[in-house]
Amino acid sequence: VNPSPIAREYLEQGYSATCPIIDMHGHLGPFYGCYLPSSPLERMRHRLKRCGVRRIVCSHHSALACDAAFGNDLMQEVVRGHPDEFLGYWVINPNYPEATARDLQSFYRLRSTVGVASVLPIGVVGFKFWPDYHLVPVTSPRYAPALEYADAHRLLVLVHTFGESPFDAPGMLAEVGKRYPRARFLMGHSGYGEWEKSVEVARELPNVYLDLTSVFQALDFAQMPGGSLMPRAPALSPHVNGLIEYMVATAGSEKVVFGSDLPWYSQHYHAGAVLFAHISDEARHDILHRNAERLLGQHLSAG
Amino acid sequence: MANASVLKFFDCNCAFGPYRTRVFRFARTAGELIDEMDFGNIERALVYHTAMRFDHPAVGNWLVVRETRGQPRLLPTLALLPSQTGEQQPLKLLLSLMRQHGVRALRLFPDEHRYFLDDVTWGDQMAVFMERRIPLFIRASLDKIAGLLRSFPNLVVVTGSQGANPLDRYAWPLVEKFPNLVFETSGYLVDGGIEEFCKRYSARSLVFGSGFPDNAAGAAMLTLARAEIDDADRQAIARDNLCRLLEEASLP
Repeated sequence: VNPSPIAREYLEQGYSATCPIIDMHGHLGPFYGCYLPSSPLERMRHRLKRCGVRRIVCSHHSALACDAAFGNDLMQEVVRGHPDEFLGYWVINPNYPEATARDLQSFYRLRSTVGVASVLPIGVVGFKFWPDYHLVPVTSPRYAPALEYADAHRLLVLVHTFGESPFDAPGMLAEVGKRYPRARFLMGHSGYGEWEKSVEVARELPNVYLDLTSVFQALDFAQMPGGSLMPRAPALSPHVNGLIEYMVATAGSEKVVFGSDLPWYSQHYHAGAVLFAHISDEARHDILHRNAERLLGQHLSAG
Repeated sequence: MANASVLKFFDCNCAFGPYRTRVFRFARTAGELIDEMDFGNIERALVYHTAMRFDHPAVGNWLVVRETRGQPRLLPTLALLPSQTGEQQPLKLLLSLMRQHGVRALRLFPDEHRYFLDDVTWGDQMAVFMERRIPLFIRASLDKIAGLLRSFPNLVVVTGSQGANPLDRYAWPLVEKFPNLVFETSGYLVDGGIEEFCKRYSARSLVFGSGFPDNAAGAAMLTLARAEIDDADRQAIARDNLCRLLEEASLP
C-alpha cells in the first residue's frame, strides 16, 4: 500500500492543504482540435479549487493557434481579473518578428512608466514558444530577440518540446539553454519520448527544467490535432510508467515541475501519477509546488 | 462524496511481462503486478501478458493462462487473430479453451498484429462473439472501431486507450449509434471528460482501466476517484460495469 500521507489526502479529499499544486503549464480558452469541457473560465476556476491548485500559469489558445496579439490580450484580462489564481505566459509567434519587436518595445516602455522591476505586464511571468506548431526551430534567429530579453531579465520560457522533432527536440533546447544561461527554460512535455536526452539536459543545465505536462500516457501519434508536425517516431517509447522515478533519480526532484495543460487534461490525472510514483514525499513537495515557488518568486505574492 | 479510498477498482487494461524497448517500471511477473496493484489501490485486474501483444499471440495466450493460475485477483484474457492463416485454434475449440481456463474476454491488437478490422477479415468470428456477448478489448483508432461496428453493430467492444488527445468529437457519435460500445478510462484524461460522458450518456458505458505500464500507475485511478459524479456511478465505472460485462458473456 502506498504509505504517502499526501497521496492519502488527495485520494480522500482531492487536495492537500500541506502539499498544494502550482501548475506551470496551463491554457485558456477553447481549442480548435478537440472539445475541452473545462475550457469556460468559470468551469476552469472550479476545477482548480477542487484540486487544491494555488496558481496556474497559462497561455491563451487563441494566441498560440492564430492571433498572438488577440490571445495575449485575452490572457491578460484573465490574469488581471483573477490574480490570485492565474499567471500568464506571453506567446511569441516567430513568424511575425515585427510583432515580437513591438511587444518587446512595449515591455521596455513599461519600465519607464511602471518601474524598473516591471519587465513584463503585471501577472505575466515569461514567454511561451510553440515551435512544433509555428514550424520554426527554437534555435532559429527569429526567436533571438525574445530570448535575449528573457536572458537579460531572467524570465521563464515555456517551450513545447517533443522527441526527435526538427523544431524543438530536447537537444535543441539544450543548445538554446546554453546560449541564454540566465533565462530559465521549462521543457514542455519533457521532450516527449526522447526521455533519456531530456533528463540529461535537465541534469546538465541549471537553467532547464522538466515539465510533466502530458507525459504520463502513451500517445497515439496518429491522432494528434492537425497543424502539428510532431513526429510519429516508432522509436519513441510508448510506455511511460516509471518515468517520474527515472527523472527524480537522474535529474533530481528539484528539476521537475508540475504541469497539466488544463483545460486539456485532468490535474488529478497528473497528480495521481506523481502521488503514486515510487518517490519520497519530499520529492512530491518539490514537484507539486516547491520548485514552482522558487521559479515564480514574487509573482506568487502579487495576487 | 464518499471516501474514495474505499472504492473497489477492477482494472480492465493492464499488462505484465517483459518488453523489448525500455520501460522504466513494469511488472515482469504476475506477482510483481499484484505488488503494483497494492501500491496503486487496485483490487483486481483483467490482464494480458506482454507476449500477447509484442510476441506471437499463441505464445502470449499460453503464458497468461499459466502465469495467472492460482492468482484469484488476476483474470486472464486471450489475444485473437483472424482465422484465415490458421495460427489460432478453430473458433469452437477457442471457446472451449476459454471456458476451461476461465477466460471471459478477448483482446485484439490490429496495429501490432497487422490485420484489417472489417467483415471481410472477421465475418466468420464476430457474429459468434456478438451473439454470445463476449467482450472484445480492441486497441485501435476509433475510425477502425467504427468500421467494425458498422458491420457488427451489437458487438460488445471496449476501447479507448488511445493516447492523450481528447477524442470526443470522434467518440460521442459512435456512442449514440452503437449500444454496446464501451470506453475504458486509462486514456480518458481530458479534464471533465468522465463527468460530461456520464451526464450526456451513461456511466454504464465506461469501465476503469489504468493502462499500466503504458500509462503511469495512479493517474487514471485518482481521476476517477475524484470525478464529480455520484458515488453509484463511480463504483460502477471502477468495478461493477466490468463485472457485468464479464458475467454477460455466454460460453458454450
